[in-house]
Amino acid sequence: MKEKLYQVWRALIWTFDPADRGEAGKAITRNFWLHWFPPRMTKRSLSWGYSLWLGTISAVLFFILTITGIILMFLYVPSVERAYQSIKDLEYAVSFGWFLRNMHRWAAHMMVASVFLHMVRVFYTGAYKNGISHMAKRQINWVVGMILLGVTLLLSFSGYLLPWDQLAIWAVTVGTQIARSVPILGDDIYYVLAGGTRLDQNALIRFYTLHVIFLPALLLVLFSYHMWRIRKDEGLASVEQEKIARKSGKPVQPEMVFSTPWAVRRIILVSLGTFVWVLFLTVFLESPLEEPASLEWTPNPAKAPWYFLWLQELVAITTIRIGGFTLNGGFIGGVLIPAILGGAATIWAFIDKSPPEATGVWFHRSRLVQNLVFTFFALLIVGMIIFAMYFRGPYWGVYWPWAWPELPEII
Amino acid sequence: MTDKEIKSKRREFLKNIGRLVGYGTLGGVFAGFARSLWPNILYEPPKRVRLIDPKNLAEGMNYFPEHRLFVFKKGNEVWAISAICQHLGCTVNFVPFGQKVKKKILGKIIEEEWEFHCPCHGSKYTQDGDIYAGPAPRGLPHYPLEIDPATGFLVVDMSREVKKDWRLKV
Ligand code: HEM
Ligand code: FES
Repeated sequence: MKEKLYQVWRALIWTFDPADRGEAGKAITRNFWLHWFPPRMTKRSLSWGYSLWLGTISAVLFFILTITGIILMFLYVPSVERAYQSIKDLEYAVSFGWFLRNMHRWAAHMMVASVFLHMVRVFYTGAYKNGISHMAKRQINWVVGMILLGVTLLLSFSGYLLPWDQLAIWAVTVGTQIARSVPILGDDIYYVLAGGTRLDQNALIRFYTLHVIFLPALLLVLFSYHMWRIRKDEGLASVEQEKIARKSGKPVQPEMVFSTPWAVRRIILVSLGTFVWVLFLTVFLESPLEEPASLEWTPNPAKAPWYFLWLQELVAITTIRIGGFTLNGGFIGGVLIPAILGGAATIWAFIDKSPPEATGVWFHRSRLVQNLVFTFFALLIVGMIIFAMYFRGPYWGVYWPWAWPELPEII
Repeated sequence: MTDKEIKSKRREFLKNIGRLVGYGTLGGVFAGFARSLWPNILYEPPKRVRLIDPKNLAEGMNYFPEHRLFVFKKGNEVWAISAICQHLGCTVNFVPFGQKVKKKILGKIIEEEWEFHCPCHGSKYTQDGDIYAGPAPRGLPHYPLEIDPATGFLVVDMSREVKKDWRLKV
């Protein structure tokens, strides 16, 4: 049966029948669509359980975002007078406008989650390690990945402003003020980010340009490099396991399979699965749109998007006062702590001195301690997000989610 | 030094000049690109603005949403407090108590009729705008008021701050 399928596949996409392995490999490297794959891969690196395919899922989501984003560009006007109205039109006037907006929005939320989970997967499998390879420099891909994570977050954040509603303006007010709370340089950073001393047309057009061209282009370049590196690093880290086994004299032949159909088929399956999931969210969940942006009053409470809620929790609790000297929590919780966490995670790939056997396998025993520390911080962040989402009520007070106080009408 | 050595030295020197000019030009061009993003002119509302005929001020709190400013009037005294939270820039809410309330704040008993609370991260300010709870690093600024001699209107200057006991008599 499998053999039969394989033959059908070959008949469909190969114009000639390769006589041997060499020819079959060349057929892949000479195909425009396939040339960035190696001719053959190990079965282990294609398995569901090793990579969970989270990187591919992230890439598919980025593709969906690009397509829907380009169409949205035809329909959205980046001006403070018309931005909100164009989103309202998407919801109520444009045929399938709601569909486009929902799809773009849900794919964006999913992408933040999948990129984060991809990083978690890479950490737990020790996939930034080089094993016994002399060629591989997988740490570089870890560093590139951290930048990709940052760019993904910035993309979400810049997109968040565009509807120019209350949700947007307050999330971005707080976000840009965090930048402003940096000692000495803060005012300059804010000034160039917002293009002035307050959030207005200049800020909108800047965030728009970042969102629709600068950051996506940067992400695409980094992603291409990310993929190129995997090739130069001799494949996913799991291949080290087979190398180590072979070296120790075990009679194991790594199971090599041709990239097509094996990798191609899985990529198509993953793409379809991702697409269907996003479609499901798109059809069944609506995107919120609050009242038009107004600096005159702030919603109570005003909450950041979920992936920044841990930062909102941090900025609210980290202001320190020593004598007459005060350091704004905006700087400590919003800049310093995330920078330390991100910086430590980035250089960890170079510090981790666990043995080569811990490369490309889940939860290797020798990495127990660092896995626990990593889990601690990941859960801390997730915990703060959940806490801020469900237990922070009006005036950022702590309440049970079902017991928010009634607020008197104010002003 | 042989002729050859001199020649190669000269070549090296010229090469360095070439590099300097090349990288310098490129650097200058990009510095120019970057500089263009720092606006020289701002099309923003001015910091010194005309508010209202003081006759029309209500007793107690008056909120000027477009300037995010509270103006208070007690008898013939008026003063202005910013509504911009000093933590991360949200607009604070005016929270009136409806009567004078004795509260112990920062170890002192004070009497208040209202407070300012911030919806974003829960900073709390006293009636005078002093921070007493939450993450804001400082109190709400007070701005000077004046009467525009031409129109008799109240004018606020939000480019400079005054002490919290500052009052304008009208
Ligand atoms: C836009 C974001 C990203 C995209 C589209 C992306 C894409 C990919 C893809 C398709 C793979 C192949 C394996 C797989 O599917 O899991 C991969 C592997 C890898 N990624 Fe990413 N990635 C992104 C972000 C990150 C981040 C945040 C990190 C870590 C900080 C990271 C580090 C790595 C490493 C080290 C590998 C090699 C893994 C191995 O050898 O097993 N990437 N990435
Ligand atoms: S902005 Fe007011 S407490 Fe953070």
